[in-house]
Amino acid sequence: MTNGVLLYAHNSRDIDYAQLSLISGGLAKKNLEVPVSLITDESTVDWMKQSKIYNKAVDIFDKIILQDRPELTNYRNLRDLSAQHKVPFINQTRSSAFKLSPYEKTLLIDSDYFVLSNTLSEYWNINQSVIMPDAAKDINYKDRMKYLDRYISETGIKMYWATAVMFTKNQEAKTFFELADCVRENYETFANLFRYCPRQFRNDIAFSVAKHIMNGFEKPMEYTLPSLLTSLDRDSLDHVSDTKLNFLIEGDINGKYYPVSIKNCDIHIMNKKSITRNYENLVNLI
Amino acid sequence: MNEQFQKALDFSNYRQTLAVQRRELKDRVSARLTYGFAGGLFKIDQTLINFVQMLCDMQRTENIVLIDSNDNPILVENLIEFREEIMDRYFTSTFEYFEEFNKLKTKRSVESLIND
Repeated sequence: MTNGVLLYAHNSRDIDYAQLSLISGGLAKKNLEVPVSLITDESTVDWMKQSKIYNKAVDIFDKIILQDRPELTNYRNLRDLSAQHKVPFINQTRSSAFKLSPYEKTLLIDSDYFVLSNTLSEYWNINQSVIMPDAAKDINYKDRMKYLDRYISETGIKMYWATAVMFTKNQEAKTFFELADCVRENYETFANLFRYCPRQFRNDIAFSVAKHIMNGFEKPMEYTLPSLLTSLDRDSLDHVSDTKLNFLIEGDINGKYYPVSIKNCDIHIMNKKSITRNYENLVNLI
Repeated sequence: MNEQFQKALDFSNYRQTLAVQRRELKDRVSARLTYGFAGGLFKIDQTLINFVQMLCDMQRTENIVLIDSNDNPILVENLIEFREEIMDRYFTSTFEYFEEFNKLKTKRSVESLIND
């Protein structure tokens, strides 16, 4: 059975997802020792060539799979320390991963999820078609995560995180991805049923609903990927030294930041601008 | 701001960073003690090691069914090999935990916690 990692990158005016995917893909390839493929579009590839990172991409990625650039329909507020921007982002094509993945067993990850350990290697052989994390863990361990980071709504079902999804190419996983796509296409209708806020499409919610339905509307005993260690967008990746990622974390007492360093731990870094600021040093980790 | 209060705040920042570094280390060790085997997932801890060692002592070392961390039955064909693997992982991880934990204990400033 071939195992591999899959990433999406569709650049926007504000965030260089191509850069992010290079770092994320490179780290996954190094630490999990499996091939990595990228799903992207022509304009993002053009940008890679223009910004002279395309050769690096060819080195890192086993396959660069092109798809039509999806329409820009989603916006979200992204913080970078105290600054806040409304940025466009493209996230509505993730359900195509099942069809496009060249691997029999795929780990689909976000480009802001950095695999810095080989922990996920232990999950390749688990007998379960779709495995996702069912929790996120705040980097400052004080749980700034709110109720709506654990459940899809105040009265809704448990949230699974689509930041990392491991799936096997089989009929069950195919049905799961088709169902997630159906939830995306009928997002408002499902919002009426599952009581989540339909204003902004989120893969976490579409995948959680699909998982809940596939699980027979129950929470069964099932395998989950490890909780996602997460630094929020109000935190910042300050600098990278040797194997350590050094963050400034927003404290909750006096509004000041305090430093924390992470090594050999997989981490989801929500402040994407701080990743691109440290691009050169992060690439050196690959 | 008076100097004593500033000192207290600095110390508070130190304690905050130290607490996070300790938890991060604990989680890292815990992740390394997760063992995927034959389609199941085992948490390597003293209970698992004891049970496996007891079975080995009783010469029951072939085709043993163990219950994994998700309560699924997993067939272990060769328990001796399984024991060697979990022992190796357990001692490597706990030794690393011990070393890193002791390093953290000696750090007295935020700078040394982060940079060393």
